[in-house]
Amino acid sequence: MKALAAALLVLVAACGQGNIILNVDVLSFLSASDSTTQYNVIGGLPPVDSTVSRRFSLPPGLGKSTVDSISANFSSQLQNATGGGRVTLEVFFAKSQGGLFTGTPYLSDSSGHVTGAVTVPMGTNSLRLADSVFTTDSLWVGIRARITTDVGPNMTGQLRLTDLHVRVVLKDKII
Amino acid sequence: MLVVAPLRPAHAQFSFDARRYGMGGVSLSRDGNVRRYNPAYRAVKNRNHVAGAPKFSIPVPIGLIDFFKQHPINQLGHDPMFTPESAAFNPAALLNTIFNPPIFYEVKKAPLPTNDVAFTIGRNQLIIDLGATKVLIPEQEFGLGSTSRLLDLGVGFAGFHVGVMGFLQYDVGFTLDSTLRHFLVSDSTALPNTAYFVNVDGTAQAGFAPTVSYAGRVLRGAGGNDSDDGLYLGGALHYYLGATYGRGIGPAGFTTGPAPVLGSTPSPLLNGDLFTSNKPFGRGVGGDVGVVWISGPFEVGAGVNDIGAELTWSHSKIQHFVYDNAGDSIATIVVSSDTSLKTKLPITYIGNAALHMGTGTTVGGDVVNSGRGTVIHVGVEQRTGPFAIRGGVSRDQRKKMQFGFGGGLRLGPIGLDVGFFTHSNSLSTQRAITMATAISIY
Repeated sequence: MKALAAALLVLVAACGQGNIILNVDVLSFLSASDSTTQYNVIGGLPPVDSTVSRRFSLPPGLGKSTVDSISANFSSQLQNATGGGRVTLEVFFAKSQGGLFTGTPYLSDSSGHVTGAVTVPMGTNSLRLADSVFTTDSLWVGIRARITTDVGPNMTGQLRLTDLHVRVVLKDKII
Repeated sequence: MLVVAPLRPAHAQFSFDARRYGMGGVSLSRDGNVRRYNPAYRAVKNRNHVAGAPKFSIPVPIGLIDFFKQHPINQLGHDPMFTPESAAFNPAALLNTIFNPPIFYEVKKAPLPTNDVAFTIGRNQLIIDLGATKVLIPEQEFGLGSTSRLLDLGVGFAGFHVGVMGFLQYDVGFTLDSTLRHFLVSDSTALPNTAYFVNVDGTAQAGFAPTVSYAGRVLRGAGGNDSDDGLYLGGALHYYLGATYGRGIGPAGFTTGPAPVLGSTPSPLLNGDLFTSNKPFGRGVGGDVGVVWISGPFEVGAGVNDIGAELTWSHSKIQHFVYDNAGDSIATIVVSSDTSLKTKLPITYIGNAALHMGTGTTVGGDVVNSGRGTVIHVGVEQRTGPFAIRGGVSRDQRKKMQFGFGGGLRLGPIGLDVGFFTHSNSLSTQRAITMATAISIY
């Protein structure tokens, strides 16, 4: 990936002072098991987290670049089967794996309270300016599903991520 | 008469002559390109044949002043233009400076494309949208090349000349493979198991050549001995002794893996051959011929250089280099450590004509091929008293039309000439306009 990115960036190096925009379909790089979470949580327990983290190699030189803006969006579908409670889906970005799931997530949306067999769409987007997290050659992406159950029967179902895109706008040359 | 010829630098397409730029690139003097490419001009008196023309001109490099104002010499080491590590480094700006040396002032710079470039990256897709920059993606080979004669030292007698000339020839060409070009201009995704590459072919060779030449007026014209009228012939025989030679050819790019296109890391593609001389003295024989006819106000000439110039390098090495994905390095395999190779010097030529109308008007033109495409210049100059106005057109090596205009003012023994000319030497679809300035001494 690095070699490809380097080759492509050299090719477009002659494109003057315009911005370089990276539209990344993050979801496509996740496996089916990463993007779909089956849950079966005993009712009445404290919140239970299900997390996935993956490392992405970014074009070399991003560490020296100036990030103009980062916009991200996700959409997902909660298919609850039994029980009740709420599911919160959060997306984090960090330069290191240890830094994931700390602080405020980039994207966060809650299903609201659900009971029984129900399907709830979820999704949100965000825009951040000049975020230093993306000035790196490798990036960690973390997805956390936080499940809070009601007292009662087990809460079962699945949470399926249907879209996760990141758009990075770089203001200057990155080679 | 025994004449020791001075060291004479090669005259290439680039010139410091503001008058020439004002005439679209036509040179009305008998030095420069005509003397470089036409051996018959060695017998023609090297005086300017335009009435009222200066003895010589001194270029005023306003462009250099402006360049060093923007890029101070004492800070060049940290100048973003020359520092790839700098975030502000712009390869396009550096290339434009190389292609278009800032000797003269750029009145209108060719605008660099400023549009955004968007990458769409997914496991199943890789798309590049270059926007308006797509027009810069060349359809044909592009590159640099020239044949130069770095010196010409020798002695002459009765039209004969014995000496040594130095030569330098280089040519670097790049051709985008059709798959890569389609990928860059069509906004379509890269495909799995596909190679995307640029074909590179670069050659450089240099050396010197003992030379025997003749140039003389074989027929005198109606103007008699006091005029330049007549038919001139010239020829030169070179025994080339190459000092060094190198050539590299092969593709450079990347190859995508099996579907999905970014499901695996694309691998760098570098697979070529390198030919180098182990020892100097590649040998060969070639020649130049030329003819000039002058009749009163009319002058025409033609010259061809390096005819049959093929050098044999008896001790050469052939290496094959390939990118080794396993070792993440470039592996080199010696195909032959000592073999014989042949190279050619490209044939270069010039054809020129000028007509002096006697009313202060001079019309001229030339066709020059310095090793990488033919360039055509046509221009006119009108002198009236101390004033001169000039204009001309040319077709450059990329077959683009260019335009020039200018003027001059003479005040006693000193004059000032200004020439404006368009060029497409920059990485841009638009022409730039440069102003050349020179002080003329009469």
